[in-house]
Amino acid sequence: MAKSTKLKILWLQSITCNGNTHSFFSHPDFVTLMQKFEVIYHPLLDSVYSLENVINKKLACDILVVEGAFRETGMQKANQEIYAIAKSYAKKAKHVITVGNCSTFGGVFRLYDTESIGGFCFNDETPNEAYKLFKKKLISLPGCPAHPRWIGNLLSMILSQRQILLDNFHRPLEVYGYNAHAGCPRSEYFEWKVDSKNYGHKEGCLFYEYGCQAPYTHANCNKILWNEVSSKTRVGTPCFGCTEPYFPKKDLWHTNTLMGIPASMPMGVPRRAYLTITGIAKSFSIKRLNEPIIKYKK
Amino acid sequence: MKVKYLIEKIEGEAELEFDFKNGLVDNVNISFPFYRGIEEILKDRDVMDALVITPRVCGICNHAHLIASVRAIENGLSKAGINIYLTQKAISLREFTLSCEIVHSHFKWFYLVALPQLLNLDGIKKPDNYILKASWASTNIVKALAIFSGQWPHASYAVPGGVSCDPTYEDIIQAEALVDEVTRFVENELIGMSIDEYHKAKEISNIKGDMATIFGMMAKQNMKEKGKSYDRFVVLGEHPIFQSGLYNKKYSNDISFAHIKEQTQHNSKAKSVTYKDMCYEVGPLARAILVKNDFILNLHDKYKDSALTRVYARLDETIRLLVYMKSLLANLNVKELSCTLAKMPKAFEASGVGIVEAARGSLIHQSIIKDGKIQKYNIITPTQWNLSSGTQKEAGVAVQAMKGSVSIKEATFVFRTFDVCSVCTTQ
Amino acid sequence: MKAETKRGKKKESIIKAALTLFSLNGFHKTTIPDIARRIGMSTGNIYNYFASKDILAQEIIKYTSEVLGTEIRKINQQETLSTHEKIHKIVEVYFTMATKKPEMIEYFLRVYLSHREVFVGECDKMICVAGFITEIMIFFADGVECGDLRDQDFFSAFGLFMGYLGGMAFLNGEAILPRALEDYIDDIAYNIYNALKA
Repeated sequence: MAKSTKLKILWLQSITCNGNTHSFFSHPDFVTLMQKFEVIYHPLLDSVYSLENVINKKLACDILVVEGAFRETGMQKANQEIYAIAKSYAKKAKHVITVGNCSTFGGVFRLYDTESIGGFCFNDETPNEAYKLFKKKLISLPGCPAHPRWIGNLLSMILSQRQILLDNFHRPLEVYGYNAHAGCPRSEYFEWKVDSKNYGHKEGCLFYEYGCQAPYTHANCNKILWNEVSSKTRVGTPCFGCTEPYFPKKDLWHTNTLMGIPASMPMGVPRRAYLTITGIAKSFSIKRLNEPIIKYKK
Repeated sequence: MKVKYLIEKIEGEAELEFDFKNGLVDNVNISFPFYRGIEEILKDRDVMDALVITPRVCGICNHAHLIASVRAIENGLSKAGINIYLTQKAISLREFTLSCEIVHSHFKWFYLVALPQLLNLDGIKKPDNYILKASWASTNIVKALAIFSGQWPHASYAVPGGVSCDPTYEDIIQAEALVDEVTRFVENELIGMSIDEYHKAKEISNIKGDMATIFGMMAKQNMKEKGKSYDRFVVLGEHPIFQSGLYNKKYSNDISFAHIKEQTQHNSKAKSVTYKDMCYEVGPLARAILVKNDFILNLHDKYKDSALTRVYARLDETIRLLVYMKSLLANLNVKELSCTLAKMPKAFEASGVGIVEAARGSLIHQSIIKDGKIQKYNIITPTQWNLSSGTQKEAGVAVQAMKGSVSIKEATFVFRTFDVCSVCTTQ
Repeated sequence: MKAETKRGKKKESIIKAALTLFSLNGFHKTTIPDIARRIGMSTGNIYNYFASKDILAQEIIKYTSEVLGTEIRKINQQETLSTHEKIHKIVEVYFTMATKKPEMIEYFLRVYLSHREVFVGECDKMICVAGFITEIMIFFADGVECGDLRDQDFFSAFGLFMGYLGGMAFLNGEAILPRALEDYIDDIAYNIYNALKA
């Protein structure tokens, strides 16, 4: 058999719900895209090697994708610590991608035991030992799960050797430079400070009462949309900030307030600037924004 | 002779330890290696947080976890004296999105697991287009789901009293078009005939498409005789399209939650679950038996709870759900309220149970709430019913089904007819 | 640029004159010609600056709110101060103003709060006092964030703080208080802190 010149991908799972794997599988071009790579191991795709091969043999690998939270000991596959396996492949890989919030920051599963469970290179926002080893090749794709296009486009960018600019947490700026609020159809209600009165309405902003974290969450969900059609805020669910190191915060459906004032400000906006604008916007009652968008006839 | 086998890939990881006697499988110990502690993570959190955290149990059936957790909250609120009712619109939307997830999961199981594994059993190299079919069909049906839930996986759009979305007719039309597309896929690829013709077909042998392929191979492997378990079934979730109840030689609709018992197993992080100390099968076959689906009853009369009947039930359910989903959309009245609960009470005490039918069977969430915070949360997943090693008294459902298999390959195929999901089994 | 500054200064002198007259003689009894007379301007010229008495009234409240807001902002920006110390300074600023420039506080109490019909349209709700409210909001938010103040609804805290100060200023204006307003600063700051602390 001719030796493949394709980049070799190894997708390893640790403490996970498999959510990123299934999210990525919903990529419309999943199959075509993955055919451009040589898949050493992937949880859904057929691969030349079995998990036992991966664990026992020292296979070659260009791109290591890790999914799930890690602990140094106590998370074994075929009697081997998955953390040690991930580290040994990360050493030889050219790129290390942490896909999902768990593998990036520790995510939901870190909460079970914050002493011993964390992300591959960060524990919440703090870089850990592995960070020092892999920071030069690390790309973070947090999200719970990561959007299929974030994963797919990153792999394609690596393949086509395009420039990938990263932020402090090694998240690609083309995705995480935006905030989840950008593109939200409810943004007019945000501008004029019109709250959502209750769940189940097209109208109103979820930032003031219902815990929406979109204005300070780094993600382009409302720009590229989920499953190509929607997003949380489009269906009246608040953004839960799943691309950030503090996900999942407590009281996810309630806005943290300081004397009634949202505790977290939109990204980069000083509190004084925000309150000045808010004070003015709130003083006007825009009739249109306090009425249903559509009134169906009985 | 003891032999270990590692189940991997789509289903997550499980370890099967086979005990062979005279060349046949005599017993199997099933172990799921890792516990992630979702129930512990939920402790002391606001009750609404469960709607976000519990879907993270599973990347495949996250939506079922969402619906189970919202039902548990609603049940708790009702018991605490708060009036909870859902509009038909909210009921239909939840039914629709849940059905989308079940259908998507069945597609993945069929094209990524069942067909390839059977081919493997037969020693045939599988055609490349199975993964393409799995990808296309599952992607499109979760797209329809996401129109209402915002995203898949891990949506949280079901809230106490209804749903958070307020769709327009335009949204519904988009979803209808996707269901139509997937239905066309089923007709062209899966069954090779129209759904009307399918409903008229009285014999398996009349069915074409990929379903004919799997039945051909299953016949060759004598799967109508293999994979038989206790022939006991339970359906616990209440849904317009399903019938809750019990089948153990005869039907019973009198189910008491008190008879459901969870038990820890050594060697595994998963707990087994029983009804009146007996193992019961849950899932598409159980649902078909309880709803008295003629097609499946017919097969069941002949082949009992064999691997063939089980596989057929899952595929038949896929088709019936697509028809059901179309009717849900057609009758959706956008003028109704999406959510009837004006405000969640701030501090309340309650204990509630939420049960739904997920792709693999009945899923139970139980919560005890104090001062608006979760005191205790308990999740019983479908795979705990089907895939446990069993109790002291009897072997688990899948273990019983694997007994008598001639090889590991054959036994693991039987195991997979239950549709394995390790992440659900050990939350 | 120079013309603008000149115009600004003129505007401010009209506001100051009106402020005094409104609080001395009442809003309805004061006319534009009265104001013109006090600063030696023609009535017609005043209308070049303010199209109506109502608009003038609105500008005045914005002006006083800005003055007070600027003072509180200075306090908010002193990060080394404890919340109790900040409260003390805010009370001090307010009472100093009530003593030195009583017309400003009087105007707020006697005109702004008593003639809500005038403060509509572009001055609806609290927009004209935004400069002041914003700083009080920031003071509260900082206080809760650092753990000194108990989290609660903004208005329940605001009412306690400002209602108290306004009430004392009113009693002082009515010459009911036996002692000078500044003598009460320590006790009042102490009371407010105790009422709002975490």
